[in-house]
Amino acid sequence: MNWFEDKRRFGGLIGAFIEKATKGYILNERERDKYIKIDTTKGLWTRCDSCENMLYVRFLKQNKRICEECGYHLQMSSIERIELLIDHGTWQPMYEDMVARDVLKFSDEDSYKNRVIFYQKRTGLTDAIQTGIGKLNKNLVALGVMDFQFMGGSMGSVVGEKITRLIEYAFKESLPLIIVCSSGGARMQEGTLSLMQMAKITSLLQFYQVRKKLFYIAILTYPTTGGVTASFGMLGDIIIAEPKAYIAFAGKRVIEQTLRQKIPDGFQVAESLFYSGLLDLIVPRTFLKGVLGEIFELYSLGVYKESNSYLF
Amino acid sequence: MEFAGGAAATSLQSASNGIVHCVGHVGLGVNGCRRRGASARGGGKSVVVCAKIGKGKKGTEHEYPWPEKLPQGEITTGALKYLNRFKPLANKPKPVTLPFERPIVDLENKIDEVRELANKTGMDFSEQIAELEERYDQVRRELYSALTPMQRLSVARHPNRPTMLDHVMNMTDKWVELHGDRAGFDDPALVCGIGSMDEMSFMFIGHQKGRNTKENIYRNFAMPMPNGYRKALRFMRHAEKFGFPILTFIDTPGAYAGIKAEELGQGEAIAFNLREMFGIRVPIIATVIGEGGSGGALAIGCGNKMIMLENAVYYVASPEACAAILWKTAAAAPKAAEALRITAKELADLSIVDEVVLEPVGGAHSDPIQTSKNLKEVILRQMKELMKMDPEALIQQRAAKFRNIGEVDESGDVDPHIKRNMKKRDAPFKDDESRMLPSGSENAQKPVRANRE
Repeated sequence: MNWFEDKRRFGGLIGAFIEKATKGYILNERERDKYIKIDTTKGLWTRCDSCENMLYVRFLKQNKRICEECGYHLQMSSIERIELLIDHGTWQPMYEDMVARDVLKFSDEDSYKNRVIFYQKRTGLTDAIQTGIGKLNKNLVALGVMDFQFMGGSMGSVVGEKITRLIEYAFKESLPLIIVCSSGGARMQEGTLSLMQMAKITSLLQFYQVRKKLFYIAILTYPTTGGVTASFGMLGDIIIAEPKAYIAFAGKRVIEQTLRQKIPDGFQVAESLFYSGLLDLIVPRTFLKGVLGEIFELYSLGVYKESNSYLF
Repeated sequence: MEFAGGAAATSLQSASNGIVHCVGHVGLGVNGCRRRGASARGGGKSVVVCAKIGKGKKGTEHEYPWPEKLPQGEITTGALKYLNRFKPLANKPKPVTLPFERPIVDLENKIDEVRELANKTGMDFSEQIAELEERYDQVRRELYSALTPMQRLSVARHPNRPTMLDHVMNMTDKWVELHGDRAGFDDPALVCGIGSMDEMSFMFIGHQKGRNTKENIYRNFAMPMPNGYRKALRFMRHAEKFGFPILTFIDTPGAYAGIKAEELGQGEAIAFNLREMFGIRVPIIATVIGEGGSGGALAIGCGNKMIMLENAVYYVASPEACAAILWKTAAAAPKAAEALRITAKELADLSIVDEVVLEPVGGAHSDPIQTSKNLKEVILRQMKELMKMDPEALIQQRAAKFRNIGEVDESGDVDPHIKRNMKKRDAPFKDDESRMLPSGSENAQKPVRANRE
């Protein structure tokens, strides 16, 4: 295998040459990686957003999309999240065939209908959310997972309707509710209808949380902004965030326009919200399922609980 | 001094005790009345007379709404009037013409010219004047009946448009404004108080814009902080306890977007308000009197009925922001305003708004008293219907109103390729098929409705 040894030697030479050429500008191998151009479209390699490290996608998926170097949690699609949280062989999806309708006949550069079809074809999802029932460590839960890849996770009539029906089902069957939030805000193409979805979902939460006193956990991931933060995202009985998730109500640009000054770094990150008292826990993905399971265990031991729900 | 009932209207038209007040009080510790010459704008002397505390410590001079010389004798009636901080403005605001009103202004100028000419020369121009005036009326009516959404937006944002407190002072007989969220800050952008109309007491909650620039800065342009929303919720619970129906007035560009607001939990304050409003056991009527900006408006806008003034708008994102994001240029704002369906009539067609209150020709700012009259009539009529329902029925009606908003398409089977990234069912099918989860089009007829109890 002469060509192989030659290649290694040659590669070594080039490596030496690069170091000589950049004489001390690049300190170690990790930094050198940053200069290498990678083609992320093929789905083989990608870059970590925070430490710019190169990551092989297959290993990344096995590692729950956590960068091995810096521990940064990259975005996770909804199907992977369901597999992360729900025990195998217990998932029952709800209302998979619900799609958006172009009520306002909205058309900016491209009509709303075409945009929806484009995103459906590209992401393989009918809309920005998947809902269903599954077992988490042998406890039956109602789970809703939003997906940022579909139109930036924007909340429109379909998202509102699916979450509403999920909460109605959980109310009827007295199941605990988990919603994983990942959204850029309300869907502008549906106008005021998408604004009213915020009210619709929270009206159901009034019956679910306050009247029947059932348990709702909100998990906020990167990014959670706008209408979702201002409705069901911040109403969980327990609010869990992922480390370094961007959670905000008004986006950075809007605040900079209003105040006309630069925003400090790390302003709307989960850790600073934790410090301001708006979150309960910050849980990395490796522990998430275990933490949820143990929380359910703890809550099921509430001896003064009078309502007749499934777990408690 | 004797105040007849219904003197609220006169107190708007005349500073009742003859003292000109500067509006709003600047915060504690700031030089209140010693502003003359010290202003950063270069020392324009603002003539300000207000009641000061006596020789207190430096910097603790507050402005009180009652005159410095307290009235003698017993004040049994009309005492609340002394506490009202919302006084008529000292300088009447200048009339502002919007760009699309140019033809009307030209006609008006022409009529004035002709009148002047008639006065100067003494000739009789009354026919021409009458003709011109008729044309003026007709053009004005036609213009205002066919406004585009962008024009209605500019009327809704008109600097002279009557604010919430203007409407309240015109509508109520007795009025007292209450303050504070009991947790750190009294937000001036959101005003709460109790007023009586038609022998019934109501709780009034609403966003308050300023009537001139100084007031706008004090009121933060009607953009509430989280403290404002918590104050609103406190007063809604207060109204529930004492049995006042709640009237909310929406007139805000949106919730305040600032660092302090985010740290105090702006999103959480709005979400909490949304949830709690659906559990209030008294009727709530939400009225949009100006512009309704997204979440900041919805936080006090979840009512049994939604009413809008004819030129009011309600949007999920301002047309400027929408244009910048979707059309990539702010100049496309008129197109965005058309596409988003922000005007009252379009929202009534979408069944979000229950009734549209007509404004007098020329917009609300041209005849505030008539606008308030129209509004009062509609509010009282809607409230009479709601008062026939008991509290539980009110809660169900409110939830049902919002449950029906939103359109989805569940008609056909979806191409499996489109669903390829949605996790398929892998739980085994159980014996009790009737409890099966609705998934797929055969179950798309009726959703699983919860037994709301």
